[in-house]
Parts: sequence; structure tokens; C-alpha cells
Amino acid sequence: MRLEPYFEFAKKAFAREATYRLEVFTEIGSLIVRVYLLRSVWTALYAQNIAPMNLPLHSMITYATVALLMSLILEVDGTRLIREKLREGTIATDLMKPISVPFYFFSDGFGQTGLHALLVIPCILFALLLVHIDVPSAPVFAMFLLSFAVGYLLNFFVNFVMNAIAFWTLETFAIQLIVRWVSDLLSGQIIPLTFFPGVFGRIVFALPFAAIYSTPLLIYVGVIHPQDYGRYLLVQFLWLGLFSTLSLFMWRAAARRVVIQGG
Amino acid sequence: MPPIIRTHDLRKTFRSPKRRPGVSGALRTLFSRAYEEKVAVRDVTMELEPGELVGYIGPNGAGKSTTIKMLTGILVPTSGTIEVAGLVPHERRNDNARNIGVVFGQRSQLYWDLPLVESFELLRAIYSIPKDRYRENLQRFIEMLEMEPFLRTPVRQLSLGQRMRGDFAAAMLHNPRIVYLDEPTIGLDVVAKEAIREFVRHINQDRGTTIILTTHDLADVERLCRRIILIDKGTIIYDGTVDHIKEQYGTHRTLVLTLTEPHPNPVLEETEIESNDRGLVRYRFDRRRVRPDQLIREATERYELRDVSIEEPDLESIIRRIYVEGYEQEPVNS
Ligand SMILES: Nc1ncnc2c1ncn2[C@@H]1O[C@H](COP(=O)(O)OP(=O)(O)OP(=O)(O)O)[C@@H](O)[C@H]1O
Ligand SMILES: [Mg+2]
Repeated sequence: MRLEPYFEFAKKAFAREATYRLEVFTEIGSLIVRVYLLRSVWTALYAQNIAPMNLPLHSMITYATVALLMSLILEVDGTRLIREKLREGTIATDLMKPISVPFYFFSDGFGQTGLHALLVIPCILFALLLVHIDVPSAPVFAMFLLSFAVGYLLNFFVNFVMNAIAFWTLETFAIQLIVRWVSDLLSGQIIPLTFFPGVFGRIVFALPFAAIYSTPLLIYVGVIHPQDYGRYLLVQFLWLGLFSTLSLFMWRAAARRVVIQGG
Repeated sequence: MPPIIRTHDLRKTFRSPKRRPGVSGALRTLFSRAYEEKVAVRDVTMELEPGELVGYIGPNGAGKSTTIKMLTGILVPTSGTIEVAGLVPHERRNDNARNIGVVFGQRSQLYWDLPLVESFELLRAIYSIPKDRYRENLQRFIEMLEMEPFLRTPVRQLSLGQRMRGDFAAAMLHNPRIVYLDEPTIGLDVVAKEAIREFVRHINQDRGTTIILTTHDLADVERLCRRIILIDKGTIIYDGTVDHIKEQYGTHRTLVLTLTEPHPNPVLEETEIESNDRGLVRYRFDRRRVRPDQLIREATERYELRDVSIEEPDLESIIRRIYVEGYEQEPVNS
């Protein structure tokens, strides 16, 4: 496959996002405020002994801050395009070009991610200098990056499936909101999954949401030990395999519908 | 040379769930498996030689866009065969895409958030157009379509006419061998239409590109096409030259007289008065039964004239008649 078109798609998406300059700066500002607020909240909760203590306060603040920075990258949804394009029939224009349309969605999302990743840099500096988050050793950090990369891909495919489902079923804003909220909660983005007790905790750990946020985060703060890396990564890869296959099938079905029924 | 586009008994049937009125109807629609079938294109057979520019004409809902979508490969035919430049479009969508350029007047292929020129750059990457050919094409198109002033404007801020020029350039950048134009002049002013027609002519004549043009503006066809294919209710009803159909339907002419003094009933032999408005009289006559010069002589003898002219039937009035009355090999003359 020629990569040039996709590289170009990514570049254009990056440029497009960069034109919303005001939003970019408000985003940085709001992120810094949120990092600061989270630190205060967790500090207060720990002082009151309200939070379960299986993570020291310092690790907790690190966890929450890194989670926030990750969310800046993971909240990009390059696949929202499918739903719009399928619904409005504009997908036909893309199908008339010599490209792989799903890969086009991915490149577009990737370009947007690129810009968001740039935004993360000032926030990282802020987090390091003022919040004093922990920095893990190089091998642990490398493992975190690997796990994060897998989580990023998985996130793309989960979004792909969600958007494709929304194309076929009736969707309401309320349902979307609930799904979003549940997945945020169960992904470990807000509360570490180690806080969930017993069987419930074990179920939550096995869900695909955990493979997006929780696994890289727990590697970062050292809750997942090196001897368990393989097991956790295996779970991540299994979900990735499942959701990418599912995405492929849903894309085929959607494309078939377009070429048979004319959209 | 073998035909570059060939379809045989091409048919497309759309199936949609049968809808019933009312709430209970909607519920029954949900559970029943009843479908409504609509034949949009019915056994269309056509062949185009390389370098032809054919007008594909028909009333709303005739099946023109459906045919074009099948030719592009984004719609799979229900039955029949298609071959475009040796490929079956829907089986080789990507390869076919490299051979064709498409302009849909109703829908843009430009990237909405990007400045126009960046859409072009993107297309350069998509079709891997060599850099020098890209520059050369772009330069020529910018000149021909006068795009310089809005090259850096985001597409969503362009006027319809500007956007259409952009869409034309976008469709031709990769030097496609075949171009489909589906109502490309819709909503354009006379100047823009002229620019587009000139551009289409350039692409067809200087590059030898094969073009299928769908339009409701028959002036486009008269200016550009030698051959037309007429389609109605999914079926081809005429395939031949514009001249031939004019010949066939053009047995009647109109004589227009301006009388010095208004006359209540200024009759002439072998004619039928179409209208008589304060001395401006229009007569319809069959040129096989009476010669125009005879008529004019007769008119000068009987009435005092300020002006005389004879009007040829234009394509538009012929097509209008075919839409209303249907096409017949030997049209009866009323
Ligand atoms: N996706 C679809 N599903 C069901 N019916 C369709 C679909 N697309 C087109 N049709 C029907 O097929 C017929 C032909 O439509 P088509 O768009 O090809 O007409 P057209 O000749 O392009 O008309 P126009 O001049 O109005 O653009 C119409 O009756 C239309 O309602
Ligand atoms: Mg149409």
C-alpha cells in the first residue's frame, strides 16, 4: 500500500485542527486547571481517609495527572466521520477515490492526535515542575509507551465499532452520554480500577475499557509489576484483535449496504 | 478502437422496506418483511468510443445518476454487465477510480475545512500524480477557470460557482481517461456556465478524454455534444446525434411577423397562428408542405410588415415534447 496519501491526510488533519487556535489555548488552560484541581481533590480525600489506600497519595496524583494527559490524546475520535458520512451519503465521494477508507479515517484521527500531542508538552512541563509527578525508570516508561500505543489503537477500533453501530441503530444523545460515562468510569480514567472491590473489580479489569487507560497507567505508577507485563499486554492485544476484526466486518457490511442500496 | 465504455442490459433495482401510513403502519413496517422494488435503470445498453462527449439526458428520476454511480463502481448493478476501460468498475473499484474523474453538481468532493489548493495537494497524493505534471495541470486549470483569487480560501467559504470550478479542477488533475459530469452546471450564472463549458471542451478535445455529461440545461448539450442518449423511466429511448433528432422533430418552423398595424386575424395559407399579440404574430408551419419564401411573399402581399423572421426549433422544445408525448420513430405532425 502506498503510504503517501495517508501521510497527507494526517498532515491536513493536523493543519485543520491547528486553525482552531483559540480552542487550542483554552484547552491547555483548562487542562492545567484540571490537573491542579485533581491534585487538590485527591489530597483532600486522602486526608479524610475516604479513598481506599492501595495507592499512596503521590502515586495517586501521578496517576490522575497522567490519565488527564492521556485523555487529551485519546479523546480524538477520527471515526466520528464514518457515522456522518454514512448518514449523509457523502461516503460515496470517498469510495470513488483509490484509497482505503477506514485507513483514511485512521490517518485523519492520527493527524488530530499529533496536534493534541503537541498540546500535551506544556502540560507535561507544568505537571513535572509544579505538581511534581513521579517519573518511572526508563524500561518502565518504555513499557508504558508500548501499552499506551496498543491502547490508542484499541481506542480507535472501539470508537469505530461504536460509530458504526450508531449508524444502524437509533441513537439518542442520552444513550451516547451514558455509554460515554460508563466507559470513562470503567476505563480507569477517573478512578483507578484497583479501587473496585472483589468480583466486580475483576470483571472491570477484564473489560476492553481497562485495556485503554488502566493498563498503561498502572504500569506507569508501578502497580502492575514487570513479571505481570506479559499477561496484561496479552489482554490488550486480544481486545485489539477482537475489535479490529469487528471493525473490519462492520465496515464491510456498511460498504456493502452503500454499494447495494445506494446509501 | 474498441469502445471504452460498454454496458449491456444494465439494470438496477432498489429494494426498500414497504412503508405503511400511521403509527400502527410504522410498527408493522418494523416487523414485516415486505419490500418495495423500484427499477431505476432498466436494461441499458450503450457503447462509447474513446474521445466521445455524450449528453445523457432525461427527466427527473429517469435513472441518470444511478447509471453514473454504477459506472463509477460505487453501486453494484442488479444484473447486466459493465466494462469501463477494460475493467468491471464495482469489482475493481480502486483501479477504476484511477481511470475516471467525477463531478457531481449536487455534491462536492473537495475537503470542506481546507483551502482549495490544499484539496488539490491531497488529490496529488491520493492519485500519486508526478510533481511536474501536477504543477503543469494546476497552472493551466487556475488560468482557465480563473481560480487564483480564491485558491487559499477554505472550501466552505466559496460561492457555488467558485466551488464548482474547484471541483472541475479536482476531477481532472490526475488526467483521467474518462470523466462523468452529473449536472455540473446546476445553479451557475451565465459567465460561470460558459467558463465550465469551455473547460469541458478543452478536456475533451485537447486531451481526448471521454465524457458523459448529464444536465437539464440543454444549452450545455447543444454547445458541447454531437451525440445524446435519452433515458426515460430507466429505459433508453433515443441514442443518436443531436442533428438527427432535430431533423426528425424539426419538421415545423415558426414564422414571426411584426405587422405595422395590429390585425385581428391575419391568416396565411398552410399555417396555424400560434399567437397574435398587438401585431406580433407567430405562425407554425410544416416545411415539407410549404416553403418559407412562399409564405413570406404571401405575407408581404397581404399585410404591411415591419419585420420578418423564421425560428428553428431548439433542442429544448424538442426534448420537452418528447418528455410529454414520448419518443416515436416517425413523430406524427399535428
Ligand atoms: N438509494 C436509492 N434507494 C431507492 N431508490 C432510489 C435510490 N436512488 C435512486 N432511487 C430511485 O431511482 C430512480 C432514478 O433515480 P436517479 O437519481 O438515477 O434519477 P436521475 O435521472 O439522476 O434524476 P435527476 O434528474 O432528478 O437527478 C428514482 O425514482 C429514484 O427515486
Ligand atoms: Mg441525478
